Amino acid sequence: MNSARIEATPAPRDAPQDTAQLGMWIFLATELLFFGGLFAAYAWGRTHWPEGFTAASRHTHVVLGTLNTALLLSSSALVALAAACAAEERRRRAAGRLLAGAALLGVAFLALKGVEYAKEWHEGLFPGPGFALAQHVGAELFFMLYFVMTGLHALHLLVGVGLLGAFAWGARRGSPWAGATRMEIAGLYWHFVDIVWIVLYPLLYLIGRAA
Amino acid sequence: VKHDAASFARRCRRIGLAWAALLALLLLSLGSAYLPLGRLNVVIGLVIAALKSALVLGLFMGLGRSAALARLAAAVAAGTLVLLFGLSSVDFATRVTEPAALQPPQQLRPLRQGGSGR
Repeated sequence: MNSARIEATPAPRDAPQDTAQLGMWIFLATELLFFGGLFAAYAWGRTHWPEGFTAASRHTHVVLGTLNTALLLSSSALVALAAACAAEERRRRAAGRLLAGAALLGVAFLALKGVEYAKEWHEGLFPGPGFALAQHVGAELFFMLYFVMTGLHALHLLVGVGLLGAFAWGARRGSPWAGATRMEIAGLYWHFVDIVWIVLYPLLYLIGRAA
Repeated sequence: VKHDAASFARRCRRIGLAWAALLALLLLSLGSAYLPLGRLNVVIGLVIAALKSALVLGLFMGLGRSAALARLAAAVAAGTLVLLFGLSSVDFATRVTEPAALQPPQQLRPLRQGGSGR
């Protein structure tokens, strides 16, 4: 009787990978709104103290920022290739190697970011007593937002590096948990972190260059 | 199998082209930032960022190929963000600006110790 009833239950119409993907998209939606508040704060500061924001953004390190953007864009391409490979069982190990490469690019990004922070600290650009650009009203606010936004982004990237590293390791060992669907979902997170940086790059590094 | 190999190669080629386009757009936004265009500099920077985001969303994240519910979730997120931005700017655009964003920290006058003579 029971088994008959189970058989009569219609199969769910959504494939499990669709449900899993939907979960990640909803998580990314909350992340978008989380970062959105900071972007709104930036827009507010930029419209109220344009001179201070322009002056401050000229002091960010544009070469390091551009290099880091290129690193992240390349890592995203590797993750997309890994997702393409993971769709077939025989390419699972190649997918793992691509993910490991992307994670290494992420580590390189974090290392460059560390170098940048150290330079900014020595140049007195960290908000607080002795701030180097105190004569420009709003410059300190710019650097406060700069450190909060890039710091939060770096934290997300660190989580992403751990995630990709774990899947690279799992794919290399052929672990069943490192399947195609989960790899693709981890990739979605990585691409999102990339998009946040894509928007941060012109706002933090480029707006004052021509002035 | 042959068909699969062809579609795999096509997908990889598309990813490679998207990567090249992303790097080209990066250099374009870097170059345009040094042209004295006034307010247009910010607009160009943001438009290029939007193009790059669209490439990542469409070709790397496969948003177009995703289930309708996932696309709906993404659209609701974008819509909510725009709504909150709009509502916030109504408030901030109509508020009187304080003369200074942040005041430099200063040493307060030391409190008199041991009473003030009263």
